[in-house]
Amino acid sequence: MSRPPERTDGGLPAFLPAIVTVAFTAGLAVILLSAAASVNGARERATKNVARMAANLWEIPGAGADAVAQLLGERATIEAVPADGGAPRTRTEPGAYGYRPGALDPSVWIAVASDPDRAPPPRPTTPLALLGILLMIAWTARRRRRPPPPRYPAATLLLAAAFLALVALLAARRAHHELEAISAAHLAHGIRAAEIAVTSGADPTRAARAAGLPWGTTAALADPARLWTMPRAVSEAIAALPPPLRTAPTSTLQAGGATYHIAQTTLPPNTAPPTQSPTAPTPAPTTLHLALLGYEETASPTVPLTAASAGSTLLVAIILSLLPLSARPRALRRTLAAWGFLAPAATLLLVFTFGPLLFSLWISLQEWHLVDPAHPFAGLDNYRNIILDTAWWSSIRNTAVFTLHVPLAMAVALALALLTQGSRRAVRWARLALFLPSITSVVAIAVVWKWLLNDGYGLVNQLLARAGIGPVPWLTSPDTALASLMLISVWMVVGYQMVVFQAGLAAIPRDWYDAARVDGAGPLQRFRHITLPGLRHTLFFVLVTSVIGSFQVFGLVYVMTEGGPLGATDVAVYHIYREAWEFLRFGNAAAMSWVLFAVVFAATWLHFRFLEGRRAHA
Amino acid sequence: MRNRSASFARARAAPARAALLVLACAAMAAPFLWMAATSLMGQLEVFASARILPETPLWSNYPEALTAQPFARYFLNSLVFSVAVVAGQVGTATAAGYAFARIDFPGRDRLFMLFLATMMVPAVIVLIPRFLMIDALGWIDSYQGLISTELVSVWGIFLMRQYFRTVPRELEDAARVDGAGPWRIFRSVALPLARPAVATLALFAFIDAWKNLLWPLLVTRSMEMRVVEVGIAAFHSTYEINWPYQMAAGVVAVLPIALLFLFTQRYFVRGIQLEGIR
Repeated sequence: MSRPPERTDGGLPAFLPAIVTVAFTAGLAVILLSAAASVNGARERATKNVARMAANLWEIPGAGADAVAQLLGERATIEAVPADGGAPRTRTEPGAYGYRPGALDPSVWIAVASDPDRAPPPRPTTPLALLGILLMIAWTARRRRRPPPPRYPAATLLLAAAFLALVALLAARRAHHELEAISAAHLAHGIRAAEIAVTSGADPTRAARAAGLPWGTTAALADPARLWTMPRAVSEAIAALPPPLRTAPTSTLQAGGATYHIAQTTLPPNTAPPTQSPTAPTPAPTTLHLALLGYEETASPTVPLTAASAGSTLLVAIILSLLPLSARPRALRRTLAAWGFLAPAATLLLVFTFGPLLFSLWISLQEWHLVDPAHPFAGLDNYRNIILDTAWWSSIRNTAVFTLHVPLAMAVALALALLTQGSRRAVRWARLALFLPSITSVVAIAVVWKWLLNDGYGLVNQLLARAGIGPVPWLTSPDTALASLMLISVWMVVGYQMVVFQAGLAAIPRDWYDAARVDGAGPLQRFRHITLPGLRHTLFFVLVTSVIGSFQVFGLVYVMTEGGPLGATDVAVYHIYREAWEFLRFGNAAAMSWVLFAVVFAATWLHFRFLEGRRAHA
Repeated sequence: MRNRSASFARARAAPARAALLVLACAAMAAPFLWMAATSLMGQLEVFASARILPETPLWSNYPEALTAQPFARYFLNSLVFSVAVVAGQVGTATAAGYAFARIDFPGRDRLFMLFLATMMVPAVIVLIPRFLMIDALGWIDSYQGLISTELVSVWGIFLMRQYFRTVPRELEDAARVDGAGPWRIFRSVALPLARPAVATLALFAFIDAWKNLLWPLLVTRSMEMRVVEVGIAAFHSTYEINWPYQMAAGVVAVLPIALLFLFTQRYFVRGIQLEGIR
């Protein structure tokens, strides 16, 4: 193979530094845009909520258009709904949100324009980003003139990474300020709506409703459990505040690890004629508390910004790693081709495996409920909770016991593999029957076995009854349920393991057996001294993969026992599944999955340490 | 020659071995046969004790069970899901496996080890973040939500790498001398030679996707988006004591995979051997 002379000028190598700049710029753009998107999204939702407040005011008898105008001035437009308007209750237009209040006459649309006077992009960040891009361009120009460095340009990478991180941090802080401002404006509107409602004659409860959910109200304070949107910690903290005459429009409150914006207003007794007896004392002024979980909590751009800056840093690092190769265009072209081939798999793995791994670690450090938009940082609390959780540890124990089916399955599979050794045609047909359980639908298998092991009518107990053995409560007694699942699992995996062992057996040279036979070794001795040592690799492989697999059993338990009876078959993955998707405690569930990983890792490490290690000495 | 004489020497033990083998096969097949038998029984007949075979086969169980829930739709969803996963995994794994096996680039082995390391990680760890990501994208209860996370398989990349390493290099070198670029060489030389491994990967990807219960259970909500596995599980909890219906649904779920295996078993065996023997 003759090598053509290497080209050193022109072609792709010259463009590499420029590509670094493009990747860097794209990363900055994504950071700025996602920060802006989180602010804009929060603003949209705030506008929607204000529109709903206006609709609520409209519905109060005696309030109507004047009250809406008082609340929103020019921002709101009210238009009559045409007579044929079977329109939905809400309507979204570019920059405006429409609500049609309830079945009132005349039916109207109240459209509220977005708050116009706030510039969306996080401002002081943009010049910094531009500076970074200029620096990169200068670097590019210098790199194009001078020969590429022979080593990895670590300084450039560090600088670029620091810049990306700094811009992301500033953008996050800027977005945070904007979101706080949006929260405060939202809260001010809420207070205003409540006051307008009361002056229009509504009672405090109705006024609180006019201010829209999710708020704490006086009614909710009396029974803190009533409003699920308002954590008990918040309503209790509000109740403990000193009774104000009229506090500052907003203050913040830390409760349950999240920041709430609190406003209090003392509503005058309403002006509507009292409905009770005329002798009733004049109602006292009511204090109305509004607590808003800030948009800086619910629309925080932290996760997307982290992902964007980490992703573009990675991209810059990969492209920079090509720079030292520019002196060798053939190697460079090879590397570029390799990355081209790897790009789809690498991207998908990055997005759906490596990214989620870090994200999962992050979730496990937070108090993360699916329905609660706030995820306060909890440190190692989740881990402490589950370490103290006996149900979790019993599920780990069940999983470990379940794993003990693996050696049994391997023994059966090895016996089957030895049985089918040699005779070709029989094997092909036997394989179908033996292999089917391991490839077919787990759910269908679980359902069949549930029927087979049915206490009164299942085939197994019917056959046992004919042999005079009483009905065995296979799945209905805590003593036997896990063992039953283990037996089913053996039945499921032996076919697969058998085929692996067949392959391993075929790789043992026939001569060894013949030689042993000549030396007078019996079948047992041949098995002990030739078959087992020859299968060592295969046995180890099957053991490790089967143990890892059996730690993740889910389908059998989900269909057959749902973890019961009395938690006897509650295995780890099923426990995590319920923690996350039944009790919605994602933070705990994520922490549990990391503990499970640690257990699996430890088990695998022990295997390598004691089985592979011993072989190395043997 | 040697093989034949060896098996002749063992021929005396053959009847006992055959009997054992038949027994084992019967034990393995019994649940499936009992499933088929129950699927043809009357709803109350199954509770008549000491009955193993149906008095008269009740074929109407099948149409009735399969229309009680939209099983046709479940099968369509499973098919769409599995075929998309196969296409994705074959595409990503052949390309990545080829790069790891054939192209020399800095950091290759470290990157490959990093990929392999993910096989150690229990799938349940990435379940929650993946669910939250799919939810944030608004892809819950959609095909793209079902499919997008499953498009790459590290096991597949490993399999293809191992296979490409066993294919002789000469043809590729010849193509390179003729001036073909890496992509042309991959498409028209390497990939056709790897057809058996691709078939194995496709089969395993198909079966794994078809059997996948947990992920479809999480990302589908409506009946219209359920796959067969989720559908049968839901059917099981709805028709808790109607065993003939459930068994009919089970037979229909098992049959396609059994037929697929019957005609393609050598690819399965090859895949397992490639994986197990390094």
